[in-house]
Formats: sequence, structure tokens, C-alpha cells
Amino acid sequence: MNADTTTGRIRHFILNQFPLARQRAIGDDDPLLRTGILDSLGILEVVAFIESEFQITVADEELVAESFESIATMARFVDGKRQREVGA
Amino acid sequence: MDFLIHHMLRSSAARLPEKEALVCGDQRLSYAEVWARVRGLAAGIRRAGIERSDRVGIFLDASVEQSISIFAVSRAECVFVPISGVLLQDQVAHIVRDCRMRCLIVSASKLEIVVPVLSSIPTLERLIVVGGSAPAGTPLPADSYEALCGDVPASDAPEASIEKDLAAILYTSGSTGKPKGVMLSHGQVMAGATIVSTYLEITESERILAVLPFSFDAGMNQIMTAFQRGATIVLKPFVFARELVTALKNERITGLAGVPTLWGLLAQPSSSLSKGTYPHLRYITNTGGVMPQDVLATLRAALPTTKVFLMYGLTEAFRSTYLPPSELDKRPTSMGKAIPDTEILVIDENGRRCGPGEIGELVHRGPTVSMGYWGQPELTARVLRPHPFLPPELGDTERVCYSGDLVKMDEDGFLYFIGRRDNMIKSSGYRISPTEVEEVLFQSGMVQLAAVIGVPDPMLGAIVVAFVVPSEGGSFDPAALQAYCSAKMPPYMLPKTIEVLDHLPKTSSGKVDYPALRRRTGS
Repeated sequence: MNADTTTGRIRHFILNQFPLARQRAIGDDDPLLRTGILDSLGILEVVAFIESEFQITVADEELVAESFESIATMARFVDGKRQREVGA
Repeated sequence: MDFLIHHMLRSSAARLPEKEALVCGDQRLSYAEVWARVRGLAAGIRRAGIERSDRVGIFLDASVEQSISIFAVSRAECVFVPISGVLLQDQVAHIVRDCRMRCLIVSASKLEIVVPVLSSIPTLERLIVVGGSAPAGTPLPADSYEALCGDVPASDAPEASIEKDLAAILYTSGSTGKPKGVMLSHGQVMAGATIVSTYLEITESERILAVLPFSFDAGMNQIMTAFQRGATIVLKPFVFARELVTALKNERITGLAGVPTLWGLLAQPSSSLSKGTYPHLRYITNTGGVMPQDVLATLRAALPTTKVFLMYGLTEAFRSTYLPPSELDKRPTSMGKAIPDTEILVIDENGRRCGPGEIGELVHRGPTVSMGYWGQPELTARVLRPHPFLPPELGDTERVCYSGDLVKMDEDGFLYFIGRRDNMIKSSGYRISPTEVEEVLFQSGMVQLAAVIGVPDPMLGAIVVAFVVPSEGGSFDPAALQAYCSAKMPPYMLPKTIEVLDHLPKTSSGKVDYPALRRRTGS
């Protein structure tokens, strides 16, 4: 549960920015979409955070439910992207 | 002759039985299929002992079932009460209690939200559960929606209702208190459908993408216009804006209604809208707030062959004005003129007509003026008043709707929105009563004083901002208050920021000085 990990930083943002996530004590694998926690505007906020926090650019075609379903899937998406960018 | 809401569907099903009527995900229903399910569910509602004029709630997300339920309740000669799928227990309980609901059509997942309060609402006698069975311990008898829909009667029961009968109650907020139920008759809803499909030129070749919720007037009109004209309606719950863009292409959508927040999403630099072409998309409409000019410009550039209709309406009068696309270049900030068969008056504080450029209240007269607020005759009398300029010989024969919206008219009669006469907040198309949010803040026990205002926001129209004075003794944690609110209110009502003050500014008469709070935020 290190706060410095990708997961930790995303978790910190989600729990602080979306009161319902804190209220429901959302865990890393809990669904965020279509449960009322993240809606279309919430996703915009998350993407803006991820882009500035991790210095990456999220392309439109990467905005898919599989990547933004939970804190854990977001972290995997970010780490995967950073690795690819380093490798490129 | 069509004079009840479901007659529009019945006629379209008779004329175009094989035509695609309703699409949601991978479900595609023809008009004949929709009408059969409506008849089955309607018969089931009546068999369950629900009678003419009884209120039947529909607490479902946008779905085939929600659409079927609206028309089935009409066919059962009952009153449908759509409940927004984003509402939580307290708001749902208020609606169920306020309208003395007898029957609730609800999904198995949403039923869990309301089960704890059901036994405290004596009028509610029956549930119809979609997609599963009622959990053990549910205090009411429950029918299966699917079973009722499948049991289509050989012949239909006779009807006694007429167009003046109450068809729907749409709950909406004002400047104070809890949401009120705006009553709409069959005739008023159908007049709204006829008028809007006339100026939008909706025909049976239309494929309408419905993203606005059916629980508010413009949202409901998406399905009313579609079924009246024999068009196809495609329901599209979405999270990512690109899902809408994909649906526009794949479903060859011809018409899309939105609120400014939706257009703001689609106009984002990251949105894929500008990467495609949409030769099928004949029109888009905006309602529920003023479209920002930069968003409008982006949309017009991305959709060069699509007509843009800027519209205005309030639930109490259903639909009021629209700007013809031909005027968009000349007056892009206008909300247009009266819709067909409707007259809009601009009246000053002394009850006189305003001249060009003078600010006054928008007053609506026409066939879509609602029947008022359910169970609230005094409030109704404040909003629906006698026509001010009729000759006395006509007597008190007509009610017009005083909107509470301040507007002005230009030399050519086009209207411009100025603001609200009261404190009501409008955010992403939702009407929010500041006192309702304040009440929840008080209920938390964490604050001794609270005041809520709307602050302009480019994306949402307005955001909710709360000022609180914490309760004495004990530490105050704004995040804990936010979390409390999120369990009690739907997301659109939540204060975006909570500012802690030592005291609230007061006017000389001792009331909270809301203008002073607005000045603090620079708005």
C-alpha cells in the first residue's frame, strides 16, 4: 500500500476527488464505472490527473472501460504506457 | 384518433409493425414487439389491482424496460412517475411518498437502495421487479416484469381516460425545499411531441440517439417524438464521449438532443468527434442551459452539415422556445422565439409588457402549460396564473406559466436568457434547490450554519458551492462532510467545494446574505 506507487498515487487522487469512493471505502479492484462513482465528467478529471501526474498523453482510443474500470486497471494502464514509452 | 400517450405507439405499431422502434445495446425491438410488451405489462399492472389514475413509479436506468414501462403505465390508464436512475434512497423515498405511489417498477439492483424505506410508505402496495426477484425480506408483493410482459392479452381492456387526464408527474427542483411533482396531462405531453417534431421536422426515417434521461421533460420528449412519428430511438448510456461518437456512426444517427455539459464533453480537444464525418446526422438540439459560444463553434466546425437548434423549456411549461438554425449566424446567443402554437410574453415587475432590450420574466402560454405541482395548490397558483392581458369578458379561462427566468427580447422579437429570478441552481441540466443541499449539510450534524450557492462553470453551467460554519466542539473534517453528502445526495447535487467560515454574512434583516457569498467567489 505504498503511497508512492502508481496505484497509491491514483488511489489517493480517486479517494480525495470523489467523495463517494471514500464513502464506500473503494478498494483497488472495485468497479468505478457505472456504479455512480466515475461518470463521464469524472473520467475527464481522472485523465487530466493521470496525464499531468505521470507525464503521459492518453489518446482518445485509449479511453476504454477496460483501462478505467478500477484503480488497479488504471495503474496497469499507466505503467504499461510508461514502459512502452521508455522502451520506444 | 390519438389522444392518450400510448395511442401514438399503437398507431405507429399498426402502420409500421416491422419497423425498428427501440434499440439498446444488442436489443433491437420492432414496433410490434414494443406494443406487445406494453400491452402485456399494462394488463399485468391492472391485474395486480392497480387502478386508473394510480401513480406508478419507474425507477430504472435508461433501458428497454424503462421505455416499455412508460407506455404500459399509460395504457393501464395510470400515471407514470419516472425516477432518475441517479437518485439515492432519500430522494426516491420523497417522490414515492409525495405522489402517494401505489406501484413501483424497479430493477433488482435498484430495489436494494429502497427496500429499507418501503415499509414506511403505506400507499405503496406492489412492486414490479425487472431482471431478477425481490430480495428476501422485501415487505411488499412483487411481480416479475418479464413474466407480465410475456403474458400478452388476447384482447385489450376498454379505456375511459381522456386527454385531460393526468399522464405523468415529473419531479423537479425549485429554489427552495424538496423536489415538486410537475403534473402533465396526456394532451400536454402529446402537444409537446407534436410541436417539437414539427419544428425539428422529425419523420419516420429518423434515428434518434437518446442520452438525456427520460425523467425530465426534454429527455422524455425524445421517445415521445420518436414513437409519435414511427422513428427509431437508440438508447445509449455512456461513460466515454467516444462511445457516443461511435454510436453516431454505427447507428447512422440522424438526431441527438443534449445539454451544454454533453456538448462540452464532445467538444473536448481529446474528443474523437472532430476526427469523423457524420453525413447522417441531420440535427442536434441543446436545452437545459446556455451553450457556451466556444463549444458551439467547435460543434459547428465538426458537424458542418448538421443543423443546430438552440432550445429552451422548463418542466412547468414543457417546451417554450427554439432558435431556427437559419438565425444561428446572426444571433448565436439567442434562445430564439416561441415554439409553434405558443406565445411567449416578457413581463416586468409591474405586470407590463417589456419593450425591446428591457429585462423581464418569461411568461409562457400554450397547450404545453402543465397542470401545476402535485398536491401544492398554493405553489401552483404562484407559477400558473391567469392570463394577464385577456379581456375581462373571457373570465379566468386560461393559465399561463410564469417561468422565473429573466430574459430580454431584441427588436426582431428574439429572446436572450439573462438569469434566474430566484436562487435555483442549474448544473449540467439538473435543477438544484440550494435549501435541499443545505438541509443535508445540517443533517450531518457537523455544521451549525450552511449556505449553498451556484457558481458559474464553463462545463457544468454552474457548480454547487457550500459555505459552512462547523459545529462547536470537535474538529471539522471537510472530507468527512463530503463523504457524508455523497451517501445522501446524487452526484449532481454534491457541493464541489466546501468553504469553512467563522460566520455567515447576514443582511440587515438577519437573513443569509447570498449575494455577499457570491461576491466572495467572484461570481
